[in-house]
Amino acid sequence: MWAMIAKEFHELQRDRRTVAMMIVLPVVLLVVFGYAANFKVHDIPVAAVGPGASQAAALLREPTFHVTDVDPAAGESAAQARLRDGQDVIAVVTGGGRPLVLMDGTQLFSVETAESALARLAPTAGTPAPRVRILYNPDLTTSWIMVPGLAGLILVFIGTLITSLGVVRERQAGTLEQLAVMPFRAWDVIAGKIAPYLMVAAVDLVFIVVIGMGVFHVPFVGNVAVFALGAALFLLVTLGMGIMVSTVSQNQGQAIQLAFMLVLPQVLLSGLIFPISSMAAGVRWISYVLPLTYFIQVSRGVMLKAAPISALAEPLALLAVLAVAVLGLAIIRFRRDLAPSSRTTQAAARTAERAAA
Amino acid sequence: MDILAEASRATRNFGSFTAVSAVDLAVGRGEVVGLLGANGAGKTTLIRLLLGLLRPSDGTVRLFGAPPSISTRRRVGYVPQTLGLYAGLTVAENWSFTAAAFRRARAAIPGNISAWKNELVGGLPLGAQRQVAFAVALSHQPELLILDEPTSGVGPLGGARLWEQIRQAAGGAAGALVTTHNMEEAEQCDRLVMMAAGKVVATGTAAGIIGDRKATEIHCDDPGRVFAVLDASDFAVQVQGAALRVAAPAAAVAGVISRAGLDAVVEVVPANLEEAFVALAGRPEAG
Amino acid sequence: MRYGLEEVRVTRGRNVALAGVTVAVDPSRIAVVVGGDGAGKSTCLQVLAGLLEPDAGTVRRPAKEHIGYVPATAGLYRDLTVQENLDFTAAAFGLSRGERDRKASQILEQTGLGRARRRLGSQLSGGMQRKLAVGLALLHSPELLILDEPTTGVDPVSRADLWRLISRAAVDGAAVAVTTTYVNEAARAASVVLLEAGKMLASGTPEQILHDVPGAVGAWPGADRPTSLSWRRGASWRVWSPAGRLPDGVRPVTPDFEDAVVVATLAAEAANQAGR
Repeated sequence: MWAMIAKEFHELQRDRRTVAMMIVLPVVLLVVFGYAANFKVHDIPVAAVGPGASQAAALLREPTFHVTDVDPAAGESAAQARLRDGQDVIAVVTGGGRPLVLMDGTQLFSVETAESALARLAPTAGTPAPRVRILYNPDLTTSWIMVPGLAGLILVFIGTLITSLGVVRERQAGTLEQLAVMPFRAWDVIAGKIAPYLMVAAVDLVFIVVIGMGVFHVPFVGNVAVFALGAALFLLVTLGMGIMVSTVSQNQGQAIQLAFMLVLPQVLLSGLIFPISSMAAGVRWISYVLPLTYFIQVSRGVMLKAAPISALAEPLALLAVLAVAVLGLAIIRFRRDLAPSSRTTQAAARTAERAAA
Repeated sequence: MDILAEASRATRNFGSFTAVSAVDLAVGRGEVVGLLGANGAGKTTLIRLLLGLLRPSDGTVRLFGAPPSISTRRRVGYVPQTLGLYAGLTVAENWSFTAAAFRRARAAIPGNISAWKNELVGGLPLGAQRQVAFAVALSHQPELLILDEPTSGVGPLGGARLWEQIRQAAGGAAGALVTTHNMEEAEQCDRLVMMAAGKVVATGTAAGIIGDRKATEIHCDDPGRVFAVLDASDFAVQVQGAALRVAAPAAAVAGVISRAGLDAVVEVVPANLEEAFVALAGRPEAG
Repeated sequence: MRYGLEEVRVTRGRNVALAGVTVAVDPSRIAVVVGGDGAGKSTCLQVLAGLLEPDAGTVRRPAKEHIGYVPATAGLYRDLTVQENLDFTAAAFGLSRGERDRKASQILEQTGLGRARRRLGSQLSGGMQRKLAVGLALLHSPELLILDEPTTGVDPVSRADLWRLISRAAVDGAAVAVTTTYVNEAARAASVVLLEAGKMLASGTPEQILHDVPGAVGAWPGADRPTSLSWRRGASWRVWSPAGRLPDGVRPVTPDFEDAVVVATLAAEAANQAGR
């Protein structure tokens, strides 16, 4: 029996990917939970508008609140626009009786923290108690904000994990070598590989959204075209990641391990569960490089807030940049697997063929 | 001669399927017996019967003179085609694992593989891997060796060197049963048992099995048309250098060629083991 | 040389995979590259097929549409049926519907897979898989057929069928390059190249190689190794004397192709040792 144990240890120490998973993963999880996972929110972005804006702003103290703008000239519609565009989570509208506190219902934890903070504010003599109106997700239903996020998660799974398996399976079976010798251009093979997964992911996405709307009554108040654009760009990024994983994996087991290590941080740090604004700065930068973070902004923005494309310009543009970068790199690497023969030998071969003919 | 393993009219059924049918086989001390047959011919089932992993539906099987059991199985050394080694471990680690498993922890690594002691098995060339697999299987000094295609893929000189080790082990106090469907390996054995569809179709030395069987070599100016004509008449034609070769009597071949109005010189040659096998084994499955 | 490699050199990192190898593959002829594991046989074919670029030397091959290549490990999609495999390959090479149906029926009949059209690749036996793989490579009637160890691990009956397929391609005009570890298959070729550790040990027709065996070869029936230049053959030993003088008790024999190959390998080993 000891012989078995010793042998297993020897084999394990040489399997670097598994070792990485066993050591790196718990460390990552610890860091995430230590610094990122935070249900208590602070630095909630607030704007104050209307004639009583400055007084309102004075009451909204750090560390819970972070006043971004005080604009006595603006009114309720401007405040709503700021919430819809994601610039602020809370907006205080003063003037004309009781102050109105608008809250962005898609930021669940921020709203709950803000509500309890407001309740603790000592009422100032002469100032009527504020009215609170929660926009976009008035009942603070969890499923309403999870479903758009899960839509993104599905795309990550199909894009990264399943695509990488599809390509690695071909490499493992040896048929990739053959494709390289057939009269295919590298682009034919790549497009042929990506297209089915693109289509399946699109169908899956529609499914999730429809079921979300039907079963959980998640609203879809925004522009479908904007949603589709965000989804398409995001999908291209994840597909690119899938192909990258496949170019560094020799078999399906390795592909799964690597894909898993890429998916897990996205689940934890993209704002799907834990709000980004409450993550420690040292960890928050990771969210800013994850594509899922931006897709969630787009999907929640469109489905729940009817955010216009101008408001979502930033996440869409970033997704576009990531798509070009990741997919571009993936294609370059994949081409090397398919067409190692450089132009010089082929030209020589053609010349020789012509001479022999 | 001391018989190490013996099957006497051994039969094994799996439901309505007969994997092995009335097979006689004996392996004696000091000899190398080749078990030749296609996949699905029953070789693996027969080995399992000899090792006692399966019980015969009919007939008898004896291992070292008694029905096979766990204790007699310990006296067998088995090298499967996949070598049974851990590619991720070094030679030394593989050796100590097997030694510990057979409770001979202090056995020293033999000279011919000690040079690779600290190399990962996965990094060694195939010939070296096979030598290691062989040495590891011999480490507990078994009396019967069962080897599955021991020299496949190594090339003629590498193969001959492996055969040296096999002969050395068999020449000592052991015997060997080599399963293969590789003619070159078969020809290295002292005698052969040819199986097809669960039955023994031939036994004896390679020369004995070929017997008087003949094949035909054809020299002609237009091999393309001669080939097409013979192929169409369902003769198994192959290219042999610049000539053609058919595993069929010369008269029949010459007849077909002349009837097609073609010109060729037809020569009678002795058949080879592969042609004898195909003739005896027939077609395993259609389509 | 119509197609083939000429003085090709390939290095992989510090390892010399091919050291100046020449393999001529001419139409209507079967050229065989024979050698043990790691000799460089697959590397030769990869260079010939265009998968690998040599560091030196010339390669002659036709355009991709005229090449049929079957690698050592695969050659077909296991998750597709026989028919689907045929359809995919036909489409890849741009065969018209009519051509595809005609050639596919021909291939199915010649490989004996006529009744297995709907069977998945993974459900076929090893021999049938190889036959299908070679059949797929022949679908577009290639000018150059490249097969990497097509018969390794295949049962003898399927092996005979495979050689029939390969032979038919050759007599129909294709230039065929095959690698193998089986010496008796090399003896069937029109030209043979013997490789060991990337170097050419012998090259020519089987008759030429036989004729060029230096010294003398003999047989020794005893149990123990007679000389250092001896090797096992069945229950006896074969002995080689480069100078042509066999020791007492060793009966001279006419070397066969297997002897020729072993002698060439031993000679190369001796030359290596002397060079050190």
